[in-house]
Amino acid sequence: MGQIGHGIYLCRYQIRVAAINLSFVICHLSFAASPSDPAAQLHSEVDQVLALAYSGQSSEALVDRAGPLLEKDFSFELVTRQAIGPGWRQFTASDQQKITDLFTRLVIRIYSARVVGTQRPNIIYGKTITLAPDRCEIPTRVTAPNSDKPYSVTYRLINLPSGWRIYDVLIEGVSFVANYRAQFDELAQRGGAAAIIKALEAKLAEPINPNS
Amino acid sequence: MNYLIPTLLLVLTCVSGFADETNQPNLPRRNPAKTESKAANSSQKKPAKDPSTTSTDELANEPVQKVNDPFERINHTTFRLNDSFTIHAIKPLAHGYEQIVPHAVRTGLSNFFDNLDFPVRFGNDVLQARFVRSGQEVGKFVVNSTAGVGGLFRVSDQVSSLADVPAEDFGLTLGRWGFSTGPYLVVPVLGPSTIRDLTGYAGDFALNPLNWYLIFSNHRLISNVVGYSITASRFVVRAPGNVHAYEQMKEAAVDPYSAVRNAYLSHRAAQLEK
Repeated sequence: MGQIGHGIYLCRYQIRVAAINLSFVICHLSFAASPSDPAAQLHSEVDQVLALAYSGQSSEALVDRAGPLLEKDFSFELVTRQAIGPGWRQFTASDQQKITDLFTRLVIRIYSARVVGTQRPNIIYGKTITLAPDRCEIPTRVTAPNSDKPYSVTYRLINLPSGWRIYDVLIEGVSFVANYRAQFDELAQRGGAAAIIKALEAKLAEPINPNS
Repeated sequence: MNYLIPTLLLVLTCVSGFADETNQPNLPRRNPAKTESKAANSSQKKPAKDPSTTSTDELANEPVQKVNDPFERINHTTFRLNDSFTIHAIKPLAHGYEQIVPHAVRTGLSNFFDNLDFPVRFGNDVLQARFVRSGQEVGKFVVNSTAGVGGLFRVSDQVSSLADVPAEDFGLTLGRWGFSTGPYLVVPVLGPSTIRDLTGYAGDFALNPLNWYLIFSNHRLISNVVGYSITASRFVVRAPGNVHAYEQMKEAAVDPYSAVRNAYLSHRAAQLEK
């Protein structure tokens, strides 16, 4: 029985780090578009976003302020397309737009609930790794003030006509996009776009618990 | 009885077979970063690429990874039971612990139990022939046990060579030896796992010298009291973090079962790549 507790800790810790702890993920997501070095760009703009995220305002106020910033610098359209997967093309344009809007709202809302009232994390940046001519990833180590251990957060960026945008984030090896794709795939198989829309609307209707 | 469950798990692991990509097409065994890198490299080498296909199309059309979850129905049931257990039993316990024990003390206790698991990490490093890493584990243990006052303070974080040593366990050791993950499982109380990882728990139990005393001691009463005390303490110490993590996971997920399953399997695959 000695390892049972350890097992629980292991599993739950893995869930924790993989649990899309959006507070420290999304606060890095926003940065101004620039055609040059994505790492420098990410690095230089993080402080600006962290300053906004940890300015002590309410969750509702943060949704209003952080939302436009995130939408401007983060390709929610591409992230949503990836999260849905190949089935995206079978959806109508109207459904695609609705899913994108709902998913964007969900991400921003969770982010806003997580960061309010918390302390700034310490972030160490690694070297940029080129994935393709127009794609790269930037590894970081994040230490949250209330966390026992640091964890890895890797940003994947793509160079779009509008500049470098993040299209995925990996926390301890768990892809944000792939995680949602796994969830949406099950829903899509059961009920197509309507099931995804319904699930997102239900999720958005739930109250966010800032203490969780 | 002490040996029955480990033996059974080992047999199950053997039955589940050695790793074979053709047999396990649905498990995310590779680090997504490396997979992406390989995919990116291979796409660069393809001269006959459709010019109308953009990079964003490639990303958006990545197939959904199928998961080896033959027991999905019963796993779902267990997941709901675990959910209820977490919310109605563990959460109040964790809340009480947080109210009573100051944050600094909680951190110290968490560090202490991490330090206590040194033999498991060290043993698995050796079994995987990762001798540099096993040396780092010894260094961590010595530093934290001495300068860190019996492991209450993780002083090793201040030493760059000891700050980021991946923690090994027997599930990962089995993976490096070539065993496949086997089917995904949701274990009552324990949570997400696989046949391989469940076997790993038994292996880790056997690797911990503390458990040798508990198993082979002639003083059954004392060994049971010590064993259950350690297990209960470890459980309580780690409960707040586990509950917070679980609630955040649920709050962000549109399908918590799939989210936890994907996160667990992806994370274990990434650990295996380290």
